[in-house]
Amino acid sequence: MSLLFETLAAIVGTIAFSLLFGVPRKFYPYCGFIGGAGWIVYAGLLTYVSTPASAMIATIVVILFSRTFAVRERCPVTIFLISGIFPLVPGAGVYWTAYYIVTDELTLAARTGFLALKVAVAIVLGIVFVFELPQGLFKFAAKKPIKTEERKERENKDDLD
Amino acid sequence: MEHDKDCKTDHQSENESRLGSDDDDNEEDHNPHQREILNAAMQAGHILLENGAEIFRVEETMDRICRYYGIESGNSFVLSNGIFTTSGNEREEIFAKVQHIPVSGTHLDRVAAVNQLSREIEAGLVSLKEVRLRLDEIKIMPGKSKSMQIFASGVGSACFCYLFGGNIRDSVCAFVVGVLLYLYVLFISAPKLSKIVGNIGGGALVTFICTSLYLLRMGEHLNYMIIGSIMPLIPGVPFTNAIRDIADEDYISGSVRMMDALLVFFSIAMGVGLVFGVFHRLTGGALL
Repeated sequence: MSLLFETLAAIVGTIAFSLLFGVPRKFYPYCGFIGGAGWIVYAGLLTYVSTPASAMIATIVVILFSRTFAVRERCPVTIFLISGIFPLVPGAGVYWTAYYIVTDELTLAARTGFLALKVAVAIVLGIVFVFELPQGLFKFAAKKPIKTEERKERENKDDLD
Repeated sequence: MEHDKDCKTDHQSENESRLGSDDDDNEEDHNPHQREILNAAMQAGHILLENGAEIFRVEETMDRICRYYGIESGNSFVLSNGIFTTSGNEREEIFAKVQHIPVSGTHLDRVAAVNQLSREIEAGLVSLKEVRLRLDEIKIMPGKSKSMQIFASGVGSACFCYLFGGNIRDSVCAFVVGVLLYLYVLFISAPKLSKIVGNIGGGALVTFICTSLYLLRMGEHLNYMIIGSIMPLIPGVPFTNAIRDIADEDYISGSVRMMDALLVFFSIAMGVGLVFGVFHRLTGGALL
């Protein structure tokens, strides 16, 4: 049940941040979906594997979806990727590190700092690997292309109207 | 890319029709529009780079525009904060331009718009004149209003506070702090402060307000409130772009952007730590 609410929060949070980055309005549902999917995978896997591993798998899911939607909507993949990856970026890790340094618990500080770094590296690896996949794999998502002549005709009609 | 191969041969003949009708300007007998084409390419690159596109996309878009309108010797070198472009061979006039592009905010809608324009250029739907007009339009495209951004920052903070383990009351506090934080970002930090000072200030502000709210018994989990509220400061865009640039082997730009992201991370942590340290002292360690 709490996972449901958390996912909802991830979806709304992702959309809010995509607004901050100026993502066009029609892409909000995609961004929300990607953010939510990333969080479900991340939170679901946490009980089975380590934090960096689940961050990496969640990143892979996020990027696969991002690339699919980018092909489908013919727009830069950055639009979906940046906001979708936000719930996974180790913002909390940075906070805990600062917290433990101030409270003089240096062992814990080192541990959380290193964990944050590992998560960051896991995200990096996820991004790098999935971007190596050839673009052709995502062709299935493409919408039927409008032929150039048809579009020109349509535009001419618009001009007359 | 495939498109370029097909078109290369018939570029010269089609040029006249593509470039529109203003043949009456009597420049030299090279391609009379060369300057305009390169300027258009430069402007497109400028908009992309400024608003958070990857280096690879900037280079490819500029190349596409040059090639499509018939400049074969066009060559551009793109860094994270500057574009150098030149052209010139035995048939084409020598042209060079350097543009410094300071890092500014992220407007992905402009990136999307330029990308769309570049697709339309490849499909042969726009003339050079239209390209310039469209680019000018994209450049002044209105972003989201300030009040909308502030509201989004609050909502985002509240959501992430809940996501990382806070309860409803914590999230309400995070909403308030997120709103105040973005007011600070939009009106003080962004226009007046440097990146380092601005982010230290942001981290400190968030921690200060959260701690105050916590001491006033408004929220129950101080940590989650702070984590949620600092999320609008987290440099997700430079971080993601840095990774992608490094993966594309654009090492210079990638490391500059990574440096940018790390610097912001550290500044936020320092701001948070600073205020924590002060409170720690004042309350004799009782608070934390």
